[in-house]
Amino acid sequence: MKTVFVTPELCIGCRHCEVACVIEHAKSKQLFAAVAEEKRSQPRVYVETGMHYLTFPNRCRHCDPAPCMQVCPTEALVRDDATASVLVRYERCIGCAVCAMACPFGIIRFNSVHQLDTDREVNAKCDNCIERQRAGAIPACAEACKTGALTFGEAGDLIRSSRKDFTLRLIAAQETGAEAPKMPANIKAFRSIMARLAELTGEN
Amino acid sequence: MYDTSAGKKIAEARALDKNDQEIMVKSMEDGIETVWDRFADQQPQCGFGNLGVCCNRCAMGPCRTEPFGKKPTRGTCGADADLIVARNLLDDLTTGAAAHSDHGREVVEAMLATAEGRAQGYQILDEGKLNVVATEYGIKTAGRKKEEIAGELARALLEEYGTLKNKIQMTERAPQKTKDAWKKLGIMPRSVDREVVEAMHRIHMGVDADYTNILLHAMRTALSDGWGGSMMGTDCSDILFGTPTPLKAWINLATISRDKVNIVLHGHNPVLSDMIVKAAADPSLVKRAKDAGAKGINLAGMCCTGNELLMRRGIPLAGSFFDQELVIATGAVEAMVIDYQCIFPAVTQTAGCYHTKVVTTSRKAKIPGAIHKEFRPDNAYDTAKEIIGLAIDNFANRNPARVRIPDKPMQLMSGFSEEAIRKALGGTYKPLIDAIVAGKIKGAVGIVGCNNPKIKQDYGHVTLAKELIRRDILVVETGCAAIACGKAGLLVPEAADMAGPGLKSVCNALGIPPVLHMGSCVDCSRILVLAANIAKELNVGISDLPLGGAAPEWYSQKAISIGTYFVASGVYTVLGIPPKIFGSANVTNLLAAQLTGIVNASFAVEPDPLKAADLLEAEINRKRKALGI
Repeated sequence: MKTVFVTPELCIGCRHCEVACVIEHAKSKQLFAAVAEEKRSQPRVYVETGMHYLTFPNRCRHCDPAPCMQVCPTEALVRDDATASVLVRYERCIGCAVCAMACPFGIIRFNSVHQLDTDREVNAKCDNCIERQRAGAIPACAEACKTGALTFGEAGDLIRSSRKDFTLRLIAAQETGAEAPKMPANIKAFRSIMARLAELTGEN
Repeated sequence: MYDTSAGKKIAEARALDKNDQEIMVKSMEDGIETVWDRFADQQPQCGFGNLGVCCNRCAMGPCRTEPFGKKPTRGTCGADADLIVARNLLDDLTTGAAAHSDHGREVVEAMLATAEGRAQGYQILDEGKLNVVATEYGIKTAGRKKEEIAGELARALLEEYGTLKNKIQMTERAPQKTKDAWKKLGIMPRSVDREVVEAMHRIHMGVDADYTNILLHAMRTALSDGWGGSMMGTDCSDILFGTPTPLKAWINLATISRDKVNIVLHGHNPVLSDMIVKAAADPSLVKRAKDAGAKGINLAGMCCTGNELLMRRGIPLAGSFFDQELVIATGAVEAMVIDYQCIFPAVTQTAGCYHTKVVTTSRKAKIPGAIHKEFRPDNAYDTAKEIIGLAIDNFANRNPARVRIPDKPMQLMSGFSEEAIRKALGGTYKPLIDAIVAGKIKGAVGIVGCNNPKIKQDYGHVTLAKELIRRDILVVETGCAAIACGKAGLLVPEAADMAGPGLKSVCNALGIPPVLHMGSCVDCSRILVLAANIAKELNVGISDLPLGGAAPEWYSQKAISIGTYFVASGVYTVLGIPPKIFGSANVTNLLAAQLTGIVNASFAVEPDPLKAADLLEAEINRKRKALGI
């Protein structure tokens, strides 16, 4: 099973993934043309601040079984077996938002889409860049991410790598001299300052 | 329906001052968007930009380097994180230095126009200071008319912006040891405009690729501001409008009048606003205001234009940078007259929700939605009268149902120019030096800078000032830092009760507050002259003195220039908001550590004002120890 895996500590809030997502889902698939399209493409991945100015790129996890699919009264949500993606058949969506209520990640957003002739707002959630995947490319958000906060691959591989990092950190913490993956000192210093600022103000 | 109790909680998190909180709640009830809302809308802000590793200079870009040790480590041109960060920092600093120095130039030009009889309503008000500065420039003063001297001095000052002389005379005010350090490092500024232009040249692709070399030029550019453009701005403003002397006045949003025509003067340059002060006393305009149903004309300053008018004229000060939208939300401002710098481009949108008219006056600073009344020395008085007339005519449009004005203005003492401080001490710094040697006063810290939505408005300034005076450290302030402490009641002699016993006794003996208001942000040059004169009396460099600097709530590029000329002059400076340099460990390390070995001062970043006070006290103790006191 391939997925877009998130490593939150590498997200620096540049929102490059959001821009790449907008372009991919625009009719023109071009930045300069996309901003002028009548039905403006909207991001389907959300980089938002939690606390201490830290960010998390939130997108559809393409769950299986998917709560959204289970509750959809019109069977607008379907699974693509080849990529295991949950897709929306826009013409069947009635905009009831029950899927959004069921979604554990809050990532469903209703917009008008260029695929429909009307301005009706439908579930325009992440489609796992199905067109790109069918053409052999990886999802636009993962491709755009420069820091590796979003990576695309076999879930098992990505989890294994993340698990190994954890193991190394644990061993290194026991002063064994093992080389653990480290956050650069300057980034740690910056984040610590921003965290203290946030604490002082009580916001963000 | 708007929830007022929720609004109060938000306001308490955003601003320290109760009056600000009260009007902030009103602004929320009125549905006004303010700087805090726009900041929230901006979240998350881009980490590449925050770390300084985003380069958007040329058309091969935009580029960025990866901050976690992966590729790309270089931009398309090959610039690494160190170079991108250093170039961005020099760019920001130069923007700030240019803003100060171009403001300074306009004051010098106004002085020249006055000297040549081309200026309407201006005069040389401080002949004493004119003669002092003219003598520094080798201009004969004895037996000459003041206009003649001022004309010759103005031309000499304008040449400081040129390239023929290759020297800025005002740097001679620095002690020998400090000047020697600059010469040794090769950072003695050659001219005001030259350093700014050369900075722009160096950050072009394919010019300076050595981050250390770029940061050295940043120091030189900053010195051309502090010991050049800003200092000329301060001195020529003093010559034209008078050198400030201690006076008492009122501060905060409660200085807006219920029954007079309110005109808020916002920005930085006193050339315009001082003329409005003069015109507002014109009996025909006062009568016109009364005929319009008002009880008179109330002028209130804002930001550094406010500081200039407060220092010299005792004009009430409505607030700082972040009060510009709140003051409009009182619903009682007939006109906000602006010159330039730190004016929110959204101010006309805020004004559009009330009857307030925004009047722009500089060709350099127009805002869509504002009325433009161009202000030049040759039409100054007529334009000032016209602007006041416009405000009076707008009084009829005030809707009393939408007015709310806080009712408790705070008193403050201002007007502490370097000359005034020296005079208060009896003409020499010896009493102050004796108090420092005896340990009654441990040292002094200049708190300067702005407001920033990343920290509660005024919390950084006020908490740091209170903590320092408690530790017997004298505080001098300019800009929005001074306004914050004024609103908090620290700028009155009675505030000495909050100081440690040593500082309290000195303040009580002299009848001065423990926190001294030294002016606007260009007036940070007054702090430099103060430090230089103390160092010269002791025959040491500025870097030997037990001094510190702090910018707890800075936002502006001008603050980067100020902080850098403080550090380059030998004053350790603590920033409360991180500059965009953390993407380069080398640049950060150079500014925060290595500089100490070069100029005996460095930068530190510490948002918590109590911890910042610890850092500043430790630095003061380090320098006291080195002096053997």
